[in-house]
Amino acid sequence: MDLNIRIAGAAGQGIETTGDLLVELLAGQGIYCFSGQTYMSRIRGGLNWYDVRIADRELFSGREKADVLVALNEQALNWLKDDVSDGGVKLLNGSGRDDAICVEFEKVAKETGGSAIMANTVAAGAVLTVLGYGIAGLETHLRQRFARKGDEVVNANVNCARKGAELVAGHTGMLKGPAGNSAPPGICSGNEAVGLGAATAGVKFATGYPMTPSTGVLTFLAQVADRYGIVVEQAEDEIAAVNMICGATYAGVPAMTTTSGGGFALMVEGLALAGMLELPIFIFLGQRPGPATGLPTRTAQQDLLFALNAGHGESPRAIFAPGTPQQCYDLVRHGLALSHKYQTPVILLSDQFLADMRKNCAGLDESYRPVDRCLCLDPPEGYLRYAVTASGVSPRAVPGSHAFVVLDSDEHDEDGHITDHLATRVKMQDKRMRKLDGMVADIIPPEWQGPPDAEEVLVCWGSTYGPCREAIDTMNGDGRAVAMLHFQQVWPLDGAAISGLLGTGREIIAVECNQTGQFASLLRQVGALTDFGLIAKYDGLPFTAEEIVRRLVGQELAPATPRRSD
Amino acid sequence: MLAKPFFDTDIAWCPGCGNHAILRTFDKAVEAAGLDRRRLVLVSGIGQAAKLPHYTKAHVFNGLHGRAVPAATGIKLANHELEVVITSGDGDMYGEGGNHFLHAIRRNIGVKAFVHNNQVYGLTKGQASPTSDLGFVTKLQVHGVYSQPFNPLAIAIAEECSFVARSFAGDMQHLQEMMVAALQHKGGFALLDILQPCPTYNHVNTFQWYKSRVRKVEESHDPYDRHRALDLALKWGDEIPIGIIYRCDRPTFESHYEVLRRGALVGQYEGNAQV
Repeated sequence: MDLNIRIAGAAGQGIETTGDLLVELLAGQGIYCFSGQTYMSRIRGGLNWYDVRIADRELFSGREKADVLVALNEQALNWLKDDVSDGGVKLLNGSGRDDAICVEFEKVAKETGGSAIMANTVAAGAVLTVLGYGIAGLETHLRQRFARKGDEVVNANVNCARKGAELVAGHTGMLKGPAGNSAPPGICSGNEAVGLGAATAGVKFATGYPMTPSTGVLTFLAQVADRYGIVVEQAEDEIAAVNMICGATYAGVPAMTTTSGGGFALMVEGLALAGMLELPIFIFLGQRPGPATGLPTRTAQQDLLFALNAGHGESPRAIFAPGTPQQCYDLVRHGLALSHKYQTPVILLSDQFLADMRKNCAGLDESYRPVDRCLCLDPPEGYLRYAVTASGVSPRAVPGSHAFVVLDSDEHDEDGHITDHLATRVKMQDKRMRKLDGMVADIIPPEWQGPPDAEEVLVCWGSTYGPCREAIDTMNGDGRAVAMLHFQQVWPLDGAAISGLLGTGREIIAVECNQTGQFASLLRQVGALTDFGLIAKYDGLPFTAEEIVRRLVGQELAPATPRRSD
Repeated sequence: MLAKPFFDTDIAWCPGCGNHAILRTFDKAVEAAGLDRRRLVLVSGIGQAAKLPHYTKAHVFNGLHGRAVPAATGIKLANHELEVVITSGDGDMYGEGGNHFLHAIRRNIGVKAFVHNNQVYGLTKGQASPTSDLGFVTKLQVHGVYSQPFNPLAIAIAEECSFVARSFAGDMQHLQEMMVAALQHKGGFALLDILQPCPTYNHVNTFQWYKSRVRKVEESHDPYDRHRALDLALKWGDEIPIGIIYRCDRPTFESHYEVLRRGALVGQYEGNAQV
């Protein structure tokens, strides 16, 4: 049982409200859900949609076809009706079309509830009826949701839901929705999980300049700031944001900034600064297609090599790329702890697909469990901020202690003061880079899914996790032995260990939302593999399992550039 | 008159540079204001002025060119019990860091900015700065500066900066008074623009040039009078006013955050969140 509900219309028509209402309600009933959004860069108009996929098993990605299309205007119906599966249902917010069930959601809402704003409730009532769920659960949900607004609002909403159900009563149970009570009842988006992970792990200062698709993390932190004791500030630009978190971490407070590719480009000098000053800054980078402004509301995995190489000079860093909301939550905590252990920048790579995806989540722990800042709280006489050590990590004191804590973006000696002494320069550069040895030992190994002896392995990272997982399930079900290797840590990499995992004689296929196979190239650079095929996607939409299967089976691989077999 | 640093560090400033006097005066002002140097953080960017923290005794964050203000903002928010002072030049603060300057004043973050303003770029060897006078000729501005000089005081007053003052490196007593007043200002962002001769690259705005033009503001000047303050800020040329030009009362940025009323953020880290 696997159904995809697509709510489509113009921006400003309440697509997100309707989608959120459905996914929260259905997930709350223990139904496996996966939702994702596809939208244009505009506040009004255009054509956007919100998919809510439901099933009786765990879901990891979206699907191409819809089984229920809820068209909020005729344009949405005209554009998307061909993507409705055979036997699927089309609901139109309107009248006079014989290729769809017509219900005038807004008009009904106005007449029944007194306001067009309740159109989403009418639509939800209709959809649930078509799926045979009935609306008892919806009524309970509405009563809880609007309790604070009083009986009048509650009753208006309940009446709208009932009216929506009544108007499609003739189509009750046309499709059979999966039964509930098997999935964990929580639901979480990628961006919410990042925000909650940061708040609970002890981020105390967060700043950023609004930029899709990263803004949701900063907004989430602002909403919970009073609860967790966080200072959140919107910076005047991304340069300010990264320098603010350098200042805050220097003063001893875990701090993060949120951005997308263009904003990250402005942070590059600050990233190098954190490398030189050895500050544990945390950057959330929500990717979208570039170059430049690119496709602001679409998805991509195009900034991996940029994130890795950003910053003049050479300094260590770690880069993580979660594949699910749960991994978002876990990796923020892990990354923040690691950044403090090694006094080094950490970048978390997400993208629009992961930021907006919502998926069942066993309740994420909301309790405050701050990570260890690894501070030297009582520095001894003669303290040196950049004391040379075997690990490269020097005891880190903070300003306000009795030892002076001196930091300089110039090359500096162990005391932090500027130096032009070239032997000292080499000593300090070696000390900084030595931290990579420890970071390599702390690498999170990649996750293998599928048959251990598969002859084909999909290599993926970050948000491509879900589509790849469903793709290998499909193919293995069809008798084609395909495994996948997913990386949630994409730097540093242990080339020899990965090479050992991949073994010899297998076909390696990189699946990436970019044109050039950035991660696979990186794997080749570290000696983890030599040759690979590439399923590349860079049209701004996320992968679906169906597309991966189609392209692998049909051998529609784009060659890696340059393709070598040495 | 070379300043003597606390640390065994070669001072990189030219003989006759106004920075020597500013450094000596700064050390006296810190004593006069009764500051505990272990609670003092000096933040700077890049430039000759930005080297000052290395020649005195304090916690030091010497970051990137133009970025002293956001770094200082982050430090102050992380630990608002520290005294955070920026030592910056006209290029660092008004050029590369101009946007941050505007927004720090809007926020009224409780940091002090001492801007060594010599109307020329020293570190990069003599190009025009944002405050260079029209027509100022350099190797890069070969026909003289075309752009109107940046007026930091007028802009600060327009933005209702809570403390706006100007002094002159050649009048150390006045400079010390202004530094102490700025250090003792509890009401948010304080701007102290310090006119400073550059004997190597600025042969127009010399010690004598400034000396003959600076005029202390009259005792009767009410710094809370915004229009009078703006009149003073717009004066340049034959007469250049020095002194406390403008003050206003605004809440500091850090005072808005409920979490900071419980103490410095850095001290609240372990187990103190309201969860």
